[in-house]
Amino acid sequence: MALRNLSQIGRKVFEVNCNKSSSIFVASIRNIKQVTHNENPDGTVVIAGNYMPSPRANQIITVKSENEGHCNSCYMCKLNLDVKHTDVLILSQFVRTDGCMLPRRVTNLCKRQQKRIGTMVTMAQKAGLMSNINPSWSHKDPRKRYQHKKWNSYWDETTIKC
Amino acid sequence: MSATKRVQQWATLSRMWYLFDAQWQDPFRSAQTLALYLTGQNKPIYHPLNDCGDHVVVINSKEVALRGDEWKKRVYFHHTGYPKGASWTLAWQLHEKDPTMVMRKAIFKAMASNLIRRTNMERLHIFPGSEIPEEIKGNISGQIRPVMPVPKRLTGYSKEEIDNFPKVFDYPNDYILR
Repeated sequence: MALRNLSQIGRKVFEVNCNKSSSIFVASIRNIKQVTHNENPDGTVVIAGNYMPSPRANQIITVKSENEGHCNSCYMCKLNLDVKHTDVLILSQFVRTDGCMLPRRVTNLCKRQQKRIGTMVTMAQKAGLMSNINPSWSHKDPRKRYQHKKWNSYWDETTIKC
Repeated sequence: MSATKRVQQWATLSRMWYLFDAQWQDPFRSAQTLALYLTGQNKPIYHPLNDCGDHVVVINSKEVALRGDEWKKRVYFHHTGYPKGASWTLAWQLHEKDPTMVMRKAIFKAMASNLIRRTNMERLHIFPGSEIPEEIKGNISGQIRPVMPVPKRLTGYSKEEIDNFPKVFDYPNDYILR
């Protein structure tokens, strides 16, 4: 009950803020939307928020139907790649700028692949391979880490239980 | 006899000096390979009574990689011989004290327990960094392949390489980039 009240207060504060700074505030938070501000000759002002094309839109990789994996429940299964925890160029696509794994409603992966990719992201972070994608307060240099965490380590992908 | 065969024969009968870069290498997997070179088992003239082992120079032993959480699980035991003289040192603590010790102990364990084991170990030269003394550097004539692929950090790639790399999925339309 207390939680619900708190969230309602938060929502009210957010609405107040929205009203203060108009729709521009909302659009600047949504990096994917662009605000257009047009003034017609008859004096009416039209402020619209349009969806921007995604920066990845023309870089998405697809696979021919004859090369697809035996499971086609999600795109990673179809691509049928042998992803290791050292493939940081692939794994870094699944994390936010603070190093958190994206949820399944965003990545749109099947449950098995979400578990596999999430575990491999953790492995890459523990090995210090993606140390530049981390919260601001964390040690960027793996050598400055605590005790056993500062030395190099590698992981075996067969230990992922799924 | 061809020139290459002749040189191969000289190399077999002489003491070769090999270089091994331990950067991101598992010491226990690389020890299996290095032990063959130190005992001379990589040569066709090998015999247990034939002293034909090679020298191996290991560099960057501070950068060795252990599997999983072995740095805090692997324990090195020592006993002084006196009562209560037992001590257990974790691998990461030993590596802090001496960055060559984990590699040296791994190779010592990989070699067969016999009377020439310590003689063969004398031909092993381990350096924590990439600096080698000049008198050793001048002898090196061969290189041992790494046993594991060396991973590349994300900071090692340029911004163009990261941006132009094919993407596997696109964000949903209402996703807020963070």
